[in-house]
Amino acid sequence: MNLMRSPELADRVAAAYALGTLRGAARRRFETLARQNPALRAAALLWQERLSAMTELQTGEAPSPNVWKRIAIQLRQEADAQAQGARARPAARTGFWRAAALAGGLASVLAFVLAAYTGAQLSQLSATPEIRYVAMLEDDRSAPAMLVTFDARHGTLTLKRLGSFQEGQDRSLQLWALPAGAAPQSLGVVDRGTVVRLTAGEGQVRQVPALAISLEPKGGAPAGSGPTGPVLFKGALVPTT
Amino acid sequence: MDPSDDPRLIALLDRMADRALPLAEREAAFRTLYELSSRKLYGLALRIVGKRDWAEDVLQEAYLQVWRVADSYRGALSPPLAWLGMIVRSRAIDFLRRRTSERADTALEIDSAFEEAVPGDAANPMDTRQASEAAWALHECLRKLESRQREVLSLAYLRDLSHGELATRLQLPLGTVKTWIRRGLDQLRGCMSRFA
Repeated sequence: MNLMRSPELADRVAAAYALGTLRGAARRRFETLARQNPALRAAALLWQERLSAMTELQTGEAPSPNVWKRIAIQLRQEADAQAQGARARPAARTGFWRAAALAGGLASVLAFVLAAYTGAQLSQLSATPEIRYVAMLEDDRSAPAMLVTFDARHGTLTLKRLGSFQEGQDRSLQLWALPAGAAPQSLGVVDRGTVVRLTAGEGQVRQVPALAISLEPKGGAPAGSGPTGPVLFKGALVPTT
Repeated sequence: MDPSDDPRLIALLDRMADRALPLAEREAAFRTLYELSSRKLYGLALRIVGKRDWAEDVLQEAYLQVWRVADSYRGALSPPLAWLGMIVRSRAIDFLRRRTSERADTALEIDSAFEEAVPGDAANPMDTRQASEAAWALHECLRKLESRQREVLSLAYLRDLSHGELATRLQLPLGTVKTWIRRGLDQLRGCMSRFA
């Protein structure tokens, strides 16, 4: 069977994969192919997303009040155990903070290098941008898929595709800001070019910890609805200063 | 609760994950999340494991997991109830696997629980009152299937069963199960493609 030559067959196998009835050697073959082929991976993700809605369709029933009581007891025990651990191992905690500080230092070095790199790259595309934020969006295998920079001077988000992913003719990619404590906000539909620019105000990206790209119907998710398709890429949004 | 409560569930998950907040506030958010969602999720757990005391164990494990991984919801981009449902489903499937491997006679117990949980030819066994838009689309498409096809597809997914396991549990020939699944999935594919 050649999944790559028949989109119909590819979609059928992706649906059986997500349902769970594709088993054994056939399942492993599909997984190998999907790792190499982003379109096949996207089809499987789309079906996983669609079928996951099955969990929402079952008739509800009130559980016994004992369930919450048991949860509360276990919560209390875990909190107590943690408090004791904190008292007993001051050295371990110092180590933790040292590691956290080091990680923070590394993140800012990475952001600086990224900003310098993209600043140099983008100078050919637009006159002296002022890059305030960068994000490296990765796919589910942690491979870089899209580099996003925000130019505060021009109010532009620039997206550079890095992987080989290409959405189908009847699909669009959409960029989302993931603000803490609020629903994802659309930053726009990404057209098919290698370098894509979107207009955005700094208020739309300020204090947003992460960005994500979802696969949507052509033209993007209905206005105000939030993402409807699977998330293909995501990454932290890092201020450059 | 309906999909318009999604922002509320999301805000609760964020508060649970926010380690800058006092523990009491995070736990209060957890309690409210439980009150809003436990009815729906207990129904799901019960449907998968088939017995009330088992479903309660699954629910307890699932909510404790939700408490521990609340900070990973942000990256999921799924509707909150669907995300919670996925956690309950995996805990319930693990629970059934554990029972089966622990005690041979449990297989029999699970089979009888299974029969209790499989409704007959109910015209519309699904409940969309709390469902997201995606769930509504799936519901509309499942509704167009023959009821037995719909049941087999639902059980294959919810309990993560193979063709062979479904045939054994439903006492049907393997070929029949395979045909129902294939036809059911083909119809579902045709129908879902219209909803994008």
